[in-house]
Amino acid sequence: MQDTPALLPSLLIAVAAGAGAWLLRRSWQGKTQQSGLVAAGWLLIAAAIVFPAWLLGPARGPFIALAIVSTAALAVVAANYSIRQAKARAARESLAPEPSDRATTKGRETLRWLLAGPIGMIAAMGVGIAWAALVPGEQQTRLVVGGLLVPLIWGGCMAWTLADNRILRATAVLTGVAIISFTAAIVKGFA
Amino acid sequence: MTAASKPPKPAKKKDLMSRIPAGFVRAVLRGHSSLGLAFAALIYLICLSGSLAVFAHEFQRWESAAGPHLATASPDAVQTAFAGAIAAGGPGVEHVYITLPSADFPRLLLHVDADTDREFLADASGKIVPGQEFAWTEFITRLHINLHLPVTWGIFLVGLIGVALLSSLISGILAHPRIFRDAFHLRLGGSKRLQEADLHNRLGVWALPFHIIISLTGAFLGLTTIIVGVLGMAMFNGDANKVYALFFPPPPVDDPRPAPVLDLRPMFAKLPRDGGRITYIFTEHPTERGGAALFNVKQPDRMAGTDSYAFRRDASLYNVQKAADNNLGEDLLGGMGQLHFGWFGGGIVKVVYFALGLALTYLAASGVNIWLARRRDKGRPAPRWERAWAATVWGQPAGMAAAAVTGLATISAAIAIGAWLAVNLLFLAAAIRLAAPSLSRIGRLATGALTLLAVAVHLSLRGGLAAADPMAWIVNLVLVAGGALLLIPRLGTRKSPSEAATAAA
Repeated sequence: MQDTPALLPSLLIAVAAGAGAWLLRRSWQGKTQQSGLVAAGWLLIAAAIVFPAWLLGPARGPFIALAIVSTAALAVVAANYSIRQAKARAARESLAPEPSDRATTKGRETLRWLLAGPIGMIAAMGVGIAWAALVPGEQQTRLVVGGLLVPLIWGGCMAWTLADNRILRATAVLTGVAIISFTAAIVKGFA
Repeated sequence: MTAASKPPKPAKKKDLMSRIPAGFVRAVLRGHSSLGLAFAALIYLICLSGSLAVFAHEFQRWESAAGPHLATASPDAVQTAFAGAIAAGGPGVEHVYITLPSADFPRLLLHVDADTDREFLADASGKIVPGQEFAWTEFITRLHINLHLPVTWGIFLVGLIGVALLSSLISGILAHPRIFRDAFHLRLGGSKRLQEADLHNRLGVWALPFHIIISLTGAFLGLTTIIVGVLGMAMFNGDANKVYALFFPPPPVDDPRPAPVLDLRPMFAKLPRDGGRITYIFTEHPTERGGAALFNVKQPDRMAGTDSYAFRRDASLYNVQKAADNNLGEDLLGGMGQLHFGWFGGGIVKVVYFALGLALTYLAASGVNIWLARRRDKGRPAPRWERAWAATVWGQPAGMAAAAVTGLATISAAIAIGAWLAVNLLFLAAAIRLAAPSLSRIGRLATGALTLLAVAVHLSLRGGLAAADPMAWIVNLVLVAGGALLLIPRLGTRKSPSEAATAAA
C-alpha cells in the first residue's frame, strides 16, 4: 500500500498557513498591535501543522506541514514586497546593528576557534554521552537523543565562544563540562 | 487644551527580542559573521548540491529513461534478475542490494558489491540490462554526502558544516532584535546591502523550522560515525559494534563454503500480507552457505515505517523488527534520512524542499554579500574577495551543469567530477582578471548554456523522444525552462550604486 497522497492536504495547509501569516502581517504592520489578530494568526498556523497528523500520518503529516507552512509564509512576505529608491546614505546612518569591533590577539583568536571547534565538540560529546548513560528510558532512545544533543550543543558552543569577549570563562566552562560529563558517564556506565 | 497639557503617551511595550541589549547583539553578530565567512563556501556547496539531491530518484529515472519501466516486480522476476546480476557481476560477490519498483522509482535496480561494483536494471521478466547509467546522480549525491573526499573524512566534514550551519542559525536569531517588527518587510531596490539583508533575514526566519531540521539531521548523520566511535570507546570497551547492534539485526552466522545462488522466492512467500510494500532486499554472501537476506517492508504513512525480516539461506526467519513496535529512538533514527532529503511526502514535498534548500543556499551567499557590501559602504571595499566570491557562487552551478553534460555523455562519475572541478578552477582563475559582475554574468550564461546542453545530450543519447518514462520529459522540460531563464538577460534591472562601483573597480 502506498502513502496517502499529500498534494490536496498540502494545498489546504498552504491556504491555512497563508491566512495565518496574513493575519500576523496585518497585526504587526499596524501602529497598534491587535492581539486578536495575532492569536488568530498563530492559531491558524498551529492548526495547519497539527491537523495533518490525522490526514497524512502522525509524524509524516506535521513534518510535511512544517515545510509547507514556511513556504506559504514566505509567499505572503514576497507578495508584499516594496520597491525602495536608491539614495546615497552614509554608512553611519544605517539602523542595522554592526558586528562588534573587539580588540584581539592571534593567541586569543586561536583559542577562540579551538573552543568553537575541537573543545566544543568534546564538551558536546560529553553531554550527549552523559545523557545516554544517566537519563532513564529505552537504550535506543537515550542513544539517539544523546546523539542529537551533540550537534545542538556543539552549535550552541560555537555561537557562544565566537561571540563572548570573556574567552577564559568559556574555556573554563567547556573544559569543566567535558570533564564532568565524561567522568559521570564512565562512572555510571551504560545499562 | 494645549500641547503641553497633553498626557504623555504610554511607552510602547517592547517585544522580547527587542529587549536584548545592543552590546550582546553586536557581539553575537561578530560571531555570526566570523562563522559565516569561515564556512560560507562549503555551506553554499553542500546546500546547493543537497537541494538537487532531493530529486535523486527523478534524476536516476531521467538518466535511465531508456531502461525498463515497471510498476511491480514478481518474486520470480526478482529471483531471475538476482541470479543474472550475480552471474554478470564478476568474481568476489559479497552483497547484492535490490531496490524494488515504487511509484517514486519505477525500476528494478540491483547493485552488486563484488571485486568491481556494478549496477543492473531488470525488466518485468527479470532479464537484466546494464544499469551503470547514474553518473550524474552519483556525482551530485556523493558531492552532498562526502564532497567526493575519502568517505569517513568527507562525511565528518559535512557533519561539521551542519554544526556550523546550526550555530549560524542560533546566532542569526539572537542577533536579530527586530525579528518580529521586520517579519514581513521585504524592501527591494535602493541599497544593495539593505536589500540583501531583508532577503537574508526573511528567508532565514520564516524557513527556520526547515533550516533547523536540515542542519540538525545533516550534522547528526555526518557525525554518527565519530559519536558512535567515542561512545563505544567510553562505554563499550572500545567496541562500537555493540552500539550498532542495538539498532540493527544481527549478521548471519558466517559459513564461506560455496553454495548455489540464494533462493529469495520462499522468503517472499513467508512475508506477511499486512498492507506493507516491499521496498528493498539486502542480501549477504548470496553464493555461500552462510548466505542471508533482509527484506524491508514499508508501512504506509509512517516516517519510520519500515519493518524488517531477516532470513537464513533455508528461508527460516531469524529476526523480525516491526516499525509499530519501535521506541522513540528507533523512530527518530528510522525517519532521519527521509526527513533530511524530503523523501516522505511525494512530489509536492520534494518541490518545497528544493525551494527551501535553495533559500538556505541563498542564505550562505547573501551572508557574504552583506559583508562585502558593508565593507564597500564603509569605504573599505574588498574587490578581490568580491571576485573570489562571485567565482565561487557561479562556478558551482556551472560546474554541476558541466558534470551533468559529461556524466550523460561518458557514463562516468569520475569524468563528471573532473568536469565540475575543472569549471570551478576556471572560474577561480578568471577571478584574477575579471570583475565580480562580469563573473556573475558569465557564470549565469555558462550555467544556462550547459543546462540546455545537458538536455540536448540526454535527448540524443538517453532514449530521446522515445523515452518510456514520463519523468524524463518532466526533468527535461524543467531543465529547459531553468536554462532559458538563466540565459534571458534580466529585464528592468539596473545596477545599484555598489554594483556600479564594483564594476568600475
